Amino acid sequence: MAKEMIAMLLAGGQGSRLYALTEKLAKPAVPFGGKYRIIDFPLSNCVNSGIDTVGILTQYQPLVLNEYIGNGQPWDLDRLYGGVHVLPPYQKANGSDWYKGTANAIYQNISFIERYDPKYVIILSGDQICKQDYSDFLKFHKEKNAEFSVAVMEVPWEEAPRFGLMVADEDDKITEFQEKPKNPKSNLASMGIYIFNWDILKQYLEEDEADPKSANDFGNNIIPNLLRDRRRMYAYHFNGYWKDVGTISSLWEANMEVLDPEHSGINLFDEDWKIYSRNSGMTGHKINAGAVIENSMITDGCRIKGTVKHSILFAGVRVEEGAVIEDAVVMGGSIIRRGAVVKHCIVAENVTIGENAVVGAMPSGDEGGVATIGAGITVGPNAIIGPDAMVNKNVEGGEELC
Amino acid sequence: MLNSNTSALGVIFPNSYDSLIPELVNVRLMASIPFASRYRLIDFILSSMANCGISNISVMVNNNYHSLMDHLDSGREWDLVRKNGGLNIFPPYAEKESKRFTGRIAGLASILNFLRDQKEKYVVLADTNTVVNFDFNAMLKAHMESGADVTVAYNSQELPESLRKSPSNDQCLYYTFDIEDGRITRLYVNSKKEGIQNFSMNIYLLERELLIDLVNTAFLHGKEYFERDILLPQLNKLNVQGYKYENYIARICDVKSYFDENMKLLDDYNLDSLFSGNPIYTKIRDDNPTRYIQDSKIQNVMVADGCIIEGEVENSVIFRGVKIAKGAKVKNCILMQDTIVEPGAEIEYLITDKNVKITAGKEMKGTDTHPVYISKYQEV
Repeated sequence: MAKEMIAMLLAGGQGSRLYALTEKLAKPAVPFGGKYRIIDFPLSNCVNSGIDTVGILTQYQPLVLNEYIGNGQPWDLDRLYGGVHVLPPYQKANGSDWYKGTANAIYQNISFIERYDPKYVIILSGDQICKQDYSDFLKFHKEKNAEFSVAVMEVPWEEAPRFGLMVADEDDKITEFQEKPKNPKSNLASMGIYIFNWDILKQYLEEDEADPKSANDFGNNIIPNLLRDRRRMYAYHFNGYWKDVGTISSLWEANMEVLDPEHSGINLFDEDWKIYSRNSGMTGHKINAGAVIENSMITDGCRIKGTVKHSILFAGVRVEEGAVIEDAVVMGGSIIRRGAVVKHCIVAENVTIGENAVVGAMPSGDEGGVATIGAGITVGPNAIIGPDAMVNKNVEGGEELC
Repeated sequence: MLNSNTSALGVIFPNSYDSLIPELVNVRLMASIPFASRYRLIDFILSSMANCGISNISVMVNNNYHSLMDHLDSGREWDLVRKNGGLNIFPPYAEKESKRFTGRIAGLASILNFLRDQKEKYVVLADTNTVVNFDFNAMLKAHMESGADVTVAYNSQELPESLRKSPSNDQCLYYTFDIEDGRITRLYVNSKKEGIQNFSMNIYLLERELLIDLVNTAFLHGKEYFERDILLPQLNKLNVQGYKYENYIARICDVKSYFDENMKLLDDYNLDSLFSGNPIYTKIRDDNPTRYIQDSKIQNVMVADGCIIEGEVENSVIFRGVKIAKGAKVKNCILMQDTIVEPGAEIEYLITDKNVKITAGKEMKGTDTHPVYISKYQEV
């Protein structure tokens, strides 16, 4: 039985720019938005778009991600035929290889794809926050009779040099591809989401693999080769919310945007496009007398006695009396002790911030970064963590870090 | 099966005591009454069993059980999708001569063949109107050590007024004991005594073979109630031991106790007592985290996921998906799933059932002793 389209989700990235957050887990497993992980977005998009077969390419620190995905039940992806499969590199008769690049990761799993005999394959990326209907994208791909389509976003011209850009004609046919050019000819940034006709993709993967000089990358190798051969390539315009959360500041920003769905466009309260996740199973959160809550999102299991302003608290966070949290992202199970001040920062899972410690600071003008505390860290009482700090070791009481 | 000498299967009676709380069971049954912001009453006993390795559980639904079927589904949330055992829901048999059962005997008699086919050595029987995080393994250990035929869990408390004052009727029996050296020497049905009593939690543990025997005989004699008609007449013959439960317990005996027991959980000590042990599982709704908007004022509330709160809320228990608009004031209320409180509405001592809407500017107040209940889908 053939599937019309299956998804291959690239989730092997180390996310080295997220550093303290990705020391022990792959970037797609990074918590987001109060109760989600980044990978919940592409997975939920798949199931909401009617795609029931997803291969997840993992490589870096896959333990948390593997356990999180499990049998795929939270996303309704536990299926008799298809469903979600985690695909790490594996040993073959003629040796074994890590995934050398994004294209090579797909190449090594050609046999997985062929089990489903799909007409189309959609390539997704595991480090973006985006609600997107892939069935609409596929409709476009079919209407254009395309062999390859890429989802693109219009970005401001001054930011265009940071992206891979698609130059397209008025019929959306792609004529040129520029990877982070100094002089952009287009402001259509590739979102790294592609639909291929499977026969075309397979042909180009095999050709790319045979080329010893290739970096085996979609952007640098496959797309230029398709252009060289004048394949039917189209740019699909996406104008919803999309954010690459590859850096601490963009991850923090995207979380803050969740707090303001009216303006940011990322609405998690959408009954028609639910984002699914594995639930904590904790009891409802509790807000005690004397607590102050403003403009925040709070998840099951939290206990709040202090002040929480414009922040996102994940499941089971405890905020003691007199503690102040502002413009912050505090991930699951963390404890903010009495009198601590936590501002403009990301606190990862199971962190303890000691009494009267200060973490981060509100930026003055344009200055000031997003302080980050890695998972499981203990920050001692009265310690001071500056706004640019990335903390991945325990901090003694009274110590100052900037 | 491994550990077959210590394994037990569970039988839950989700309709017991429905008649105590007619408002809330109008469209459901005791077991599926929402409780503590995101649970249903059955979650507590079911999770307790699952956490103790009881993975063969039968739910003897009798009446109004659509909501419970929907809630339990395949039993996956309690890890009860099992090839051996798992969750079984037994509706009443639609035979000409069969009728809805009142006591436990007819219910158990209807599954005697099922019980005969099982492998577990013991059976645990339970209702759903007691909210507990119960350790069945400790009870089983006590049962084996005492050499009892039947062990009954009880706690020491005064009888709830609603029970003491209610006219005795066959619909709703409750039990108290005299206990000597752990053994139950007298069993009282619907006692009106004041003061602390040994009050049965209606959790029973006995060997499966013995249960089959007792039920079979009693059913043939047209008996109805396990306690009144089997245990009570045979207290001399059967060694019935009491197992004292000392941890947190909430009993739902009427609307007032439903209100009070929810409110009690706003005390952190009580909340921790009930929830700090093993996890309590429930149906997943995939709600987003709760969002508090600028001018919300929140004091002493328990809130589940999926709510949007802009107004003022004090001393209340808020279930999943509730929306409280700007300028609305909610005090001493229990708002069940997807209740909407529109701008400027002021409510106090209200229990709103699922999907109730309190329209803009409306003022509505119950009292401490008589909280007002508003039924499902009503618009006020």
